[in-house]
Amino acid sequence: MRPFAQSGNLRLRLTLWYGTAFSILLLLHIGVATYVHYSQLINRAYHAEIQDLETTEGLVYQAPDGRITMNEEYFNNPEIRMHLDRHLEILSPDGKVLYQDQRLDGAGIDGPLLPHEGVGTYNERATRLSDGRRVLVISHFHYIHGQPMILRVAYDEAPLFANVVSFLGVLLLLAPITVLIAMWVVFTVASRALSPLSSMVRRAEKITAERLSERLPVHDPSDDLGHAARVFNGLLQRLEDSFSQLRRFTSDASHELRTPLASMRSIGEVSLQTSHSNEQYRDVIASMLEEVRRLTQLVDSLLAISRADSGQIALRLTSFSCIDLIQEVIAVVGILAEDKHQTIFVADGPQIILHADRGILRQAILNVVDNAIKYSPASTEIRIEVSVASDSIAEIAISDRGPGIPPEEQSQIFDRFYRIDSGRSRERGGTGLGLSIAKWAVEAHGGNIGVRAAEEGGSCFYIHLPLSV
Amino acid sequence: MQILIVEDESKLAYALQQGLEEEGYSAAVALSGEDALRWLERGTPDLMLLDVMLSKRNGLSVLREFRRDGYQSPVLLLTALDSVEDRVLGLDAGADDYLVKPFAFPELLARVRALLRRTATPAQSVLDLADLHMNLAGRIVTREGTSLELTSREFDLLEYLMLNRGRVVSREMLTRDVWKETMRYTSLDNVIDVQIARLRRKIDDPFAVKLLHTVRGIGFVLREE
Repeated sequence: MRPFAQSGNLRLRLTLWYGTAFSILLLLHIGVATYVHYSQLINRAYHAEIQDLETTEGLVYQAPDGRITMNEEYFNNPEIRMHLDRHLEILSPDGKVLYQDQRLDGAGIDGPLLPHEGVGTYNERATRLSDGRRVLVISHFHYIHGQPMILRVAYDEAPLFANVVSFLGVLLLLAPITVLIAMWVVFTVASRALSPLSSMVRRAEKITAERLSERLPVHDPSDDLGHAARVFNGLLQRLEDSFSQLRRFTSDASHELRTPLASMRSIGEVSLQTSHSNEQYRDVIASMLEEVRRLTQLVDSLLAISRADSGQIALRLTSFSCIDLIQEVIAVVGILAEDKHQTIFVADGPQIILHADRGILRQAILNVVDNAIKYSPASTEIRIEVSVASDSIAEIAISDRGPGIPPEEQSQIFDRFYRIDSGRSRERGGTGLGLSIAKWAVEAHGGNIGVRAAEEGGSCFYIHLPLSV
Repeated sequence: MQILIVEDESKLAYALQQGLEEEGYSAAVALSGEDALRWLERGTPDLMLLDVMLSKRNGLSVLREFRRDGYQSPVLLLTALDSVEDRVLGLDAGADDYLVKPFAFPELLARVRALLRRTATPAQSVLDLADLHMNLAGRIVTREGTSLELTSREFDLLEYLMLNRGRVVSREMLTRDVWKETMRYTSLDNVIDVQIARLRRKIDDPFAVKLLHTVRGIGFVLREE
């Protein structure tokens, strides 16, 4: 899928989600507004009715013939009437109709009296006339000329209802327009906000294994997309680092493999150019076999490293004394130190029991000690010290009196094939993998290995191992 | 002693054949599993060297078929695969030993000898070569009647060379058998060279006849020239 279409899709989805949510809220809002409007109208109608009723009470009189009648002509207050149809009914306390508005066509507003209807208060209720019209009724108990009677005023609800319907109609008519405008705004804002994403995606598409140096553009480092871009750039940096490490390893490995192959080839070809004595041929074959041996060791080491990389080596853990292991290593390589008149001094230290794969850890210590012997001048001392570095960490420190390692190279010496002085180191033998195998062996045990300047000059290689509880 | 070499890499197969014949064995080559099966119909070798990665058919399946057919003689597997699982798989299939390519020829010879020596040779308590005398029980070494002071490692090294006297031992064999290193990638070449030089200083330097010789490119040998 095209990246643009993808981000377009996101914008559209955002807009649709927003539109839906906004519509639901708007409908809710319209519903509440309409209801509030309706109940306010009703309240106003009741209020008007009460005023109407009070006016009416003043206009009712008893005709000479004893009938209750009303001065309809005075009853004309547009301010109060809200232009609503008004119906009037006057009842005696025993429910007899004393007066009835002509428009009620003889039918009562609401049948028989309720108990205590209108006594001490204005009784309000909604009811239905006999012709089906809904009306709002106010009734009040009142003495007219000393005669108790109940007045009922009813307002037709239909005009109020029509008012509410038209109010609702206007709101509903405006709603889709409002929603559309809101969605358009969201779409525009989302497009603007997501435009860095589109450009990030376009850039990311161009990043391949060969072009890992590319980075995503960071438009605004403080916002979410900027943060994402920085996180991605960090990831790319790590990828680039490990890629270049791998590339360096591959090229170093092929160099290391080619060198003995080249020697073998030259030795063989040169010896076959002219005829030689048997003795010379033996010499040639022996020389080629030496190179074969070098190649074999290199391949075995590379194989061990690749197994370690892919986690194929399982640790066989046992408990053993750290000092015993060091003495064992010295028993093997000590002779090399003796040969150079070096002494290996093991400082008195605490008895530390390690829980580790003895063979693999022994390899690590052996490689480091071997390295110390190799690079220390003759007649110097190599010092091995075991201590407890902190509550849970044991330290094995191996100090030599060699030339030391420049600070800028201290982290690299554990890299595969890394040699500070490549020409000289190769003369001293080894595959250039010893320290990187040591590093793997220590890290496989959850420890770490490093180098610092030794107090007496030279380097101090330290191995930190977690102490088992 | 008849040895059958089942190996599809003909260069290696014929080199092994030549090497074994020079050592006095009678060796035959089968370049495929099928060849080997045909060969077995005609005769029974005393030992078989079997390549695990045969091109047409996996060596292990060939081995299982051999064993099903009642073939009892020892089988030494040759393989480029050296993980623990591969070893276990090979031994489960009925192999007696396992040698990882590329191997040193002296090492192959040592394994072949060990496999053919069906009954363990009685442990010797005394070893002699010319005027060099070793008493293993007392850990005493003398030459021309003079007692020599050897360190424990020097003694072990000399004992190993003496047990293999007349035969070349490779550095790999010394690493594994004298220094007891189990990991293939451990290189003790420098250590071995220094140790050999010291041993030579003690057992050869004061004497006219040299016994400990370096065979360049292969290893070391104790013998009277």
